[in-house]
Amino acid sequence: MTKQQGYGLQQAAKGSLLARARLALKKYWFIYLLALPGLVTLIIFSYGPMYGIQLAFKDYKINLGVWGSPFVGLQHYQALFSDNAFIQAFKNTVIINLYHLIFGFTFNVFLALMINEILVKPLKSVVQTLVYLPYFLSWVIFAGLVQVFLQAPVPGDVGGVVNQVIVAMGGEAIDFMKTPSLFRGLLVITNIIKTSGYSTIIYLAAISGVDPNLYEAAAIDGANRKDMLVYITFPRILPSVAVLFLLNISQLFLSNFDQVYNMYNNFVLSTGDVISTYIYRISLGGGGKFELSTAANLLLNLLGMIALIWSNRFVKKMDVMGII
Amino acid sequence: MLHSQPATAMRHSMRQRLGFNFYDVFVVTFCVLFALICFYPMWYVFIASLTPYEEFVKGGLMLWPTGGVDFQYYNVIFNNSSFISSLWISASKTVIGTALSLLVTSTMAYAVSKVHVPGMKVLNLLTVFTMFFSGGLVPTYMLYKDLGLIRSYWVMVIPYALSITYYIVMRNYFSYSVSSELEDAASIDGCNEVRIFFQIILPLSKPMLAAVGLFLAVGFWNDYYSYMMYISSKPALQPFAWVLRRVLTDSQMMAQMRSGATSVGSQLPPPMALRMATIICAMLPIMCVYPFLQKHFAKGIMIGAVKE
Repeated sequence: MTKQQGYGLQQAAKGSLLARARLALKKYWFIYLLALPGLVTLIIFSYGPMYGIQLAFKDYKINLGVWGSPFVGLQHYQALFSDNAFIQAFKNTVIINLYHLIFGFTFNVFLALMINEILVKPLKSVVQTLVYLPYFLSWVIFAGLVQVFLQAPVPGDVGGVVNQVIVAMGGEAIDFMKTPSLFRGLLVITNIIKTSGYSTIIYLAAISGVDPNLYEAAAIDGANRKDMLVYITFPRILPSVAVLFLLNISQLFLSNFDQVYNMYNNFVLSTGDVISTYIYRISLGGGGKFELSTAANLLLNLLGMIALIWSNRFVKKMDVMGII
Repeated sequence: MLHSQPATAMRHSMRQRLGFNFYDVFVVTFCVLFALICFYPMWYVFIASLTPYEEFVKGGLMLWPTGGVDFQYYNVIFNNSSFISSLWISASKTVIGTALSLLVTSTMAYAVSKVHVPGMKVLNLLTVFTMFFSGGLVPTYMLYKDLGLIRSYWVMVIPYALSITYYIVMRNYFSYSVSSELEDAASIDGCNEVRIFFQIILPLSKPMLAAVGLFLAVGFWNDYYSYMMYISSKPALQPFAWVLRRVLTDSQMMAQMRSGATSVGSQLPPPMALRMATIICAMLPIMCVYPFLQKHFAKGIMIGAVKE
């Protein structure tokens, strides 16, 4: 009889979604309970704001609310594409990201290989300790360090170290932070100093999995250390390199608000303004163009999704665990 | 065969040895140089903030405090009331935020790691999706306004209760590092899900929870974004990271600090020196937990994505 009852339940489970849900809830109530606070947070704080995306297509009137405001179609997108500041910010974002990819990404891989080649263990761990450290300091602190080193002297202030040296040697002080042609380089270099060390971790973890016998066999065959690096170590990290490269490409349209906002100023907007700082400046940063900023944000998200889906297709072909 | 041609063999091995040396010299020089570039700016700021002004303007590499150690700039900071209150705000939001985020994120990550439970795969997709798609700045602001979070202390804590990055790290940890055989054995022995979680999973995950907790704490300590976007002009709630930003960029703040200093010291402190002392104050808590942070991520706990 119990067997029949069980069978009946199974039938019910197959039959209606509601019955199936009730059964799962009864069996796994504790697991669902554990997921609940996260789910509530997710719905409110991650999905909640998506309601407001309709602002991108509306003319916002405070007294009518978001839902009641009149629909204006693609008017904000027309405004966006005819806004030179947006076009400039878009270009800057892509250019800066390409610089990060060409210089920063390559440097990370090279640094990981070099750290791995240090034979003296204590020296290796000292180097690792020092290069990981900047990752944990905020961009505000970093912007402060940049100021301490690069600021131009003003009356009542001696200016940064680099300028002190330049002036002491009889040169003319350079206002590094306010020179548009230097700003992108500044972003790339500070980003390398702050994050390169930390990003070697994933490569070093992959390298640590190499079978030592491979190196011994290669040494017997007459390979020198450079050969081993090129033919054994590097191929080992190649899958990680490829995946991270694709993930970086998928972030071509994303910009690091934290870094740029703390380092830029009105003098370097032409080369330094990126989409995220543009979005902030035209809305909460005092611009008051709420619909335009929402429209720009939606466009950015869609471009990012397309880039991600595209690059994820390549990632899936490789035998590496993705984030999804 | 090598013995039959001793001269060639010797030359060969010599060249190899020489190559070895050049190679090592290059590797070590490159790494040490980069490590110094990473570390020296902080060291410079630290030493310079302790150096009396007369010594500081002479220039120099600031490798070691010359002309005595002088805490006058730190005195200015710790006699400034807005500094003290901001330190409290930062400390409290770091503690509360980390505890809340650790609780909410770890329980959800554990639940989702049970992929056989109906609905968990969907929940995972819904969660990861938000990494790539968000409402944006203005819709978020409007939502917080409706929720009454604008200009409230809690806007710096509650919205960050679920950290998607560490959700992924923890989910991978629960899926791959906690052995499922152990759980199976426990459930055969009559342990229910509740006991498995509290008596097996939680004790096993302590090192991982400690590591993620430290990372979260660093994030909360460094955060100024939530204050800037959603509170913006309520000095009683400003975190230390924001005060640092103002010291660096806001000449008014600097003027207020310098004028406040007259009651403490004899002359007006130079702006650059005050900036450096503030940077050190913001760095100090991170420096204190850094050895623990490094211990954890060096063990590979933080890279749940690398499976061997």
